[in-house]
Amino acid sequence: MYNIKGGVGKTSTAVNLAYLSAREGRRTLLWDLDPQAAATYLFRVQARVKGGGHALVSRKRPLEAALKATDFDNLDLLPADFSYRNMDLDLDETKKRTRRLGQLLDSVADDYDVVFLDCPPSISLVSENVLHASDTLLVPLIPATLSLRTFEQLIRFVADSQGSRPEVVGFFSMADRRKRMHRDVIDAIPRDGTRVADTVIPALSIIEQMAERRAPVPAFAPTSRAALCYEQLWAEVRPT
Amino acid sequence: MTSATRTLQAADEGRLELEAIVAALSSQYTVFTGPKQCVRRAQLDTFDRRLRAAGLTLEHQRLAAGEMLILRRAGGATTVAVPVTGLQWPALAEVLPTGPLREAIAPVTGIRALMVTSDETRRLRRLELHNQDGKTVARVELDEPASAAAAPARVSVRTLRGYDNQARRAARLLDGLGLHAVQDSEDNEPTLVAPMSRTDREVPASVLLTAALGDFLAAIRKNLPGLLDDVDIEFLHDFRVAVRRTRATLKLGRPALPEVMRSRWEPAFKGLGDMTTPVRDLDVYELDLPTMRGWLVAADPADLEPLAAHLRRRRTAQRRTLERRLRSVSFGRLVTEWEKELAQLADTRDDADQEHLSAGLLADRSISGAYQRVARGGVAISGDSPAEDLHQLRKRCKDLRYALEVFAPVVPEVPRKRAVTDLKGLQDVLGRFQDSEVQRQALRGFAEEMMAAGTSAGTVLAMGELIAHLDAEQHRAREEFDGAFARFARPASQRMMHRLGGRP
Ligand SMILES: Nc1ncnc2c1ncn2[C@@H]1O[C@H](COP(=O)(O)OP(=O)(O)OP(=O)(O)O)[C@@H](O)[C@H]1O
Ligand SMILES: [Mg+2]
Repeated sequence: MYNIKGGVGKTSTAVNLAYLSAREGRRTLLWDLDPQAAATYLFRVQARVKGGGHALVSRKRPLEAALKATDFDNLDLLPADFSYRNMDLDLDETKKRTRRLGQLLDSVADDYDVVFLDCPPSISLVSENVLHASDTLLVPLIPATLSLRTFEQLIRFVADSQGSRPEVVGFFSMADRRKRMHRDVIDAIPRDGTRVADTVIPALSIIEQMAERRAPVPAFAPTSRAALCYEQLWAEVRPT
Repeated sequence: MTSATRTLQAADEGRLELEAIVAALSSQYTVFTGPKQCVRRAQLDTFDRRLRAAGLTLEHQRLAAGEMLILRRAGGATTVAVPVTGLQWPALAEVLPTGPLREAIAPVTGIRALMVTSDETRRLRRLELHNQDGKTVARVELDEPASAAAAPARVSVRTLRGYDNQARRAARLLDGLGLHAVQDSEDNEPTLVAPMSRTDREVPASVLLTAALGDFLAAIRKNLPGLLDDVDIEFLHDFRVAVRRTRATLKLGRPALPEVMRSRWEPAFKGLGDMTTPVRDLDVYELDLPTMRGWLVAADPADLEPLAAHLRRRRTAQRRTLERRLRSVSFGRLVTEWEKELAQLADTRDDADQEHLSAGLLADRSISGAYQRVARGGVAISGDSPAEDLHQLRKRCKDLRYALEVFAPVVPEVPRKRAVTDLKGLQDVLGRFQDSEVQRQALRGFAEEMMAAGTSAGTVLAMGELIAHLDAEQHRAREEFDGAFARFARPASQRMMHRLGGRP
């Protein structure tokens, strides 16, 4: 889950897709990398990691020790911690500074089939690490021309980067078909070359309700339109 | 993820009071009590318990709210739970939903179907223990029998990853109620195949043979229900193996067994074996078809679809015949009379006058005799020997193999295992040679039948490619024969066989 921009639906999507992945029986982990801890809050877990991000990145404490079961079968969380705001500095001190998160995740690779990384909105060493550690980079796009420009920049950035590169998949988030501009952008997006999911996640108030319910949408409103949209999106992007 | 559980039950194995449990836990947690529900727990495994051997358990849970498949690994390491609908057992692992569950199970079960190994209905109540944030930090399951005969009520605390201390705390609260820990009942089930025990070489040969024949009869019986229900193709295979072993034992045991074995039972079991051959052959084709599709060079794999359909039709017809015969009075009588015969053999064997041939002596004679026949037959094979000669040699190899198996309890273990390994190499080459020949002829026969029924030229051409591939395979096997035989007949291997044959 990545986008330089804030408030585009990264966390909402990460939480809902991770829930759906687990519901299918995939052993799933969500790492909330954002010191603001929105995903951690949604799962009602304490935003605290012993020793903070520094202990994890420097391998003073194994990743495994920080894992928390969510209330849902097959779904674990690696919580956020306020100290993650310094993660760039911690990463910078390690040997392979752009690969460290991937190395850390290798230590729990046998325990999980799918790992979601919910990123903070920025370009940073953390995001570069995420890029190298991922097979798929899911990018929420607000249907506006400006957001498409940043998407194209991101694709170029990934293409220019060294070593293993994730597949970049964009999808429209918080789309409002009643807005003329949204319609135009969604219809006009070139779907060749860059991969943009067919599923569009509309702007729906039930998605905002996640903050009060503190649960994934398909858990508290399984037959809602929003739940269906996330199911469709997951069917498009899930690993085969 | 949930992991290791702690299970407790009342000291007198009696009832557990929900109110008392909730009250004890409420001192520290907000307890959320789920509804009381009936759950049917069916344990699944293959007939030969492949999951258990791999340290896995698979449970099909049916609740009013829905059905789940739950896979657990030994040691309570990880649990995968997947919602499912409409699954019926027995069935092959391919009916499982795609994903990690199937990926974990399918390679283990292979061609064997999953079937219900035990099934019980329990009354279940789930409690969630919440902290101040409304986060579940431990789960408690109250599991009560639905009938008096079933296992007593128990309550278990499930640990959630990262919340171990909370589960311990909850368990301590329950300890205060005077509950005590239950050892998770490991496997009380008897193992399916009793390990072959060592036997004194001096026991009468008939004793050893009767025991072996009894085991094979048990295997025939055990596989019959699954074979009749067509659960998976291994039932027939194992049934046939037991029949073949019976035949081989009767043949090897001639010097020590009464005449009736030769006059009546050898032909009876030959008939039984032959009766099952057509279905087994068709099973093998079906099994091989995916590989065969990969052989095609020019033709499209889809061209083989009519062949697959033809095989299925033939199999249905052949199975009907087989089932009818296996359900017949005469088959039933064969089994009961064979059982009586074995019982009688066991009774009469103490008769003092009977020629006393020891198991060890018969083993030595049989193994060395069978070995000599393979060695002589192999030496006689030359570049222009007809296929029939290789076929004969294959049969002799089988005889030797059975001798090594039947007399396993009275010959030294290490050389026996090595001898089997050497022999396997040779048998493999001969098997490929022979099977290619047989399959080629069979494909030709199918092609004729299918053409008569108006199949397309594309299909016949594709089958032609298969025949060409089999022909090449047969040549390859023929070329490998000399090497395989040389390995079998090398001095070290000969010395080993002499040791097994009772010579210094
Ligand atoms: N499809 C949607 N419809 C309506 N509201 C949405 C939708 N998706 C997300 N929201 C709301 O928008 C806000 C931001 O969403 P979210 O936290 O998922 O974005 P984010 O990209 O993770 O933000 P940040 O960059 O701050 O981490 C939240 O209040 C969320 O409830
Ligand atoms: Mg976020």
